[in-house]
Amino acid sequence: MAVVGHTAGPELSAHTGPLGALARAQYSALSRMRWSMFRNSLRSNRGAMELGARSVTLILYSLMGLGLGFGLGLGAFAMTADNQLQILPALFWAVFLLWQVMPITLASFQEQFDMAGLLRFPVGFGAFFLLHLIFGLVDISTIMGALACLGIWVGISLARPGLSAWTALALGIFAVFNVFLVRAIFAWIDRWLAQRRTREIVGAIFFVALLSLQLLNPAFHQGDHPGNHGEISSKTRQQGMRYLMLANSAQRWLPPGLAASTVERASCQRPGEAFEGMGVLGLYMLAAGSVLAARLRAEYRGENLGEAPSRKKAERHSGKWLIEGSGPMGAVMEKELRILTRALPLLYGLLAPLLMVFVLSGLYSKGASIAGHPLPIALLISLAYAMVGFTQLFYNNLGAEGPGIQILFLSSTPIRTVILAKNLFHAVLFIVDAVLVCLVASLRFSLPSPLVLVATAAWLLFALLIHLAAGNVFSLNMPYRINLGRMTRQRGSQASTLLSMLIQLAVLGAGAGVFALCSVFDRLWLAMPIFFAMAAVAAAVWLRVLGNVDALANRRRDSLISTLVKTD
Amino acid sequence: MEIAAIQTHGLTRRFGALTAVEDVTLSVAQGQFFGFLGPNGAGKSTTIKMLTGLLEPTSGSIEILGQPFSAGSLDLKRQIGVVPEGMALLGRLTAPEYLRFVGRMYGLDNATTNRRTEELLDFMHLADESKKLVTDFSHGMQKKLALAAAVIHGPKVLFLDEPFEGVDAIAAGMLKAMLQGMISRGATIFLTTHVLEIVERLCSHVAIISQGRLVANGSLEELRAGVASSLPGAESSQRLTLEQIFLSIVGADAQEPAQELSWLS
Repeated sequence: MAVVGHTAGPELSAHTGPLGALARAQYSALSRMRWSMFRNSLRSNRGAMELGARSVTLILYSLMGLGLGFGLGLGAFAMTADNQLQILPALFWAVFLLWQVMPITLASFQEQFDMAGLLRFPVGFGAFFLLHLIFGLVDISTIMGALACLGIWVGISLARPGLSAWTALALGIFAVFNVFLVRAIFAWIDRWLAQRRTREIVGAIFFVALLSLQLLNPAFHQGDHPGNHGEISSKTRQQGMRYLMLANSAQRWLPPGLAASTVERASCQRPGEAFEGMGVLGLYMLAAGSVLAARLRAEYRGENLGEAPSRKKAERHSGKWLIEGSGPMGAVMEKELRILTRALPLLYGLLAPLLMVFVLSGLYSKGASIAGHPLPIALLISLAYAMVGFTQLFYNNLGAEGPGIQILFLSSTPIRTVILAKNLFHAVLFIVDAVLVCLVASLRFSLPSPLVLVATAAWLLFALLIHLAAGNVFSLNMPYRINLGRMTRQRGSQASTLLSMLIQLAVLGAGAGVFALCSVFDRLWLAMPIFFAMAAVAAAVWLRVLGNVDALANRRRDSLISTLVKTD
Repeated sequence: MEIAAIQTHGLTRRFGALTAVEDVTLSVAQGQFFGFLGPNGAGKSTTIKMLTGLLEPTSGSIEILGQPFSAGSLDLKRQIGVVPEGMALLGRLTAPEYLRFVGRMYGLDNATTNRRTEELLDFMHLADESKKLVTDFSHGMQKKLALAAAVIHGPKVLFLDEPFEGVDAIAAGMLKAMLQGMISRGATIFLTTHVLEIVERLCSHVAIISQGRLVANGSLEELRAGVASSLPGAESSQRLTLEQIFLSIVGADAQEPAQELSWLS
């Protein structure tokens, strides 16, 4: 036995910081580890499918990023060539919002490495910070943000080559600021979500923010009645201009404005002022980096946010049932409800459609008509968006079970009953969400005709049943373990996400297509029976899938258990 | 005076309202096989996490090999090996890949890492499973791999959190021999386990933690003598097993009498 009890052999110095020999060896070890994990993941069919889905996703988003970069580059070129650099901040703000908002919408779509596992090794804080930045640097938001910045740089450089170096410097600092900020936001959100009290506070703030957004739109259109449209619009326009000027003077001191003003000042041959702007931008970058470092420092020191109950004996009480009725169906629904109320990311997904309705209302509230009729598709799109929030619930309905999946197989209740209970619970939840979306949409777009309403309801029934049926198949064939207390650092399954997105697009396309065809032939009433017929077919498919659930679950039992229980 | 391998002063960790570990002061001499016992939820794993830099103490201090220890003590981290709670394995690697990763994370050069990886796989009887992913290992095999990873860099202090849980008798015997070999070469082992027979057989010193507080600390003989003198029947201290000592100190007698379960009677 040559190893145990002996002192360590040839070792590298631990004292040379994040770029020292030990740190470099650790980076190399981590890279090899990631490569091995990637290579090993291809051993299974599922792994190969995941790789395919990831490649498709990356290509799609890279193409989107290239398109965005091209568009922004074109805009930057035009602004620079026309000497209209005072409107350049608009482009930088677009990039900023994309960089910061996109990761929230893609949180469950991207895999991140949990760095806490490295703390038992002699990893210095500098290396820990650097690794946190490097892992996930090739995520979708960074790729798109970087392509957008590249587009702006190319656009400005082509129009005025003399501004190339200034633009590169400003964009470089701006990009690093964005990377720091988005990481800091997520690191803090994860920290807040880890504890019940802060989770509730964040949830309350989020809910108030959503309500505020809903109230913002009517406030903007206050007094915007058809009768006095012209007069009030002019007043509103003046008021709006005042707000806009105020916002413009404020945004100049914020990072996107500072980055843009650096380029603008450099173009006016005012290098001192350009350096000044860049300096303040650099300070923002350092501030964002410090906020991130403060969070990571706490993690590095061995922070544990787990909540342990007090050792004092709890009062004995039997607890209240949230869902009445005994038996497995009631038990499963009760469990689902309790888990849902404790999972902020899921609640976010369910409430996000209201936010989308607000956004859509901005697009359609004025021109919400084709030839004077309310746009039936607006409601359809709102409801389709509502369904996106249910993707994880529908398509990975066993993911939150974790090791508890074994109980489902051990109990005398057939898996079909469990899945049926989950389907019913999710359907009820979706109907509540859909009614809320309809109410908000009706207030924004004006009330749709009863015909459109009934036809949309029929489409909704069809869509719901299709998603439940497909979701059950996906949940049994491509499950993945999820941690409902986290926004980031989730494993996820890109194949499942991508395929479910395709199904959602197809379902929406079918609805929009039927509506469009019926509108073209001026037979909107026909949409109703067509959707009901489609719903009947979907119901048959769902029942058939449900009938096969037990057989499928038994066939997939080993894989299901190992996937949901296994060591990461 | 010889420097202690592990020394804590007033070590405390709170989680909100709960004080998981309170004012723990203990000293483990170099070359000692130290058993750290306690009932479920007593604070054993929390203590190990603090001693290995995985959890920041709320207050108190830790010294390892005579030097103050914190999460940033890189040189000290290279002197300690850990089998943490949950083992912290990477399921999508094979055993050789995982050991090579760990070796390099501890700063061993490639040649040494490779050589030790092979030796450890042979020693743990895992060499035949070198193509298998860790996630497909049995629980016992995962334990053996976690232990192999904890010793690949030749640590002077080894922290083991339930290392024998799920390990078969043959492997357990082999691991015990390995650990005793480490002790004979001067290493220090800090062990937590619920298997009191193992502690009785391996450990020279034992500490018992209950509800976050250290309630006993000393050699097995000292604990036996202390418990024997406090027992009304004055049973011979030589006949007391560690289980009896443990139950006596932790106060199982004082706990509520077991109630009969109505539906099982």
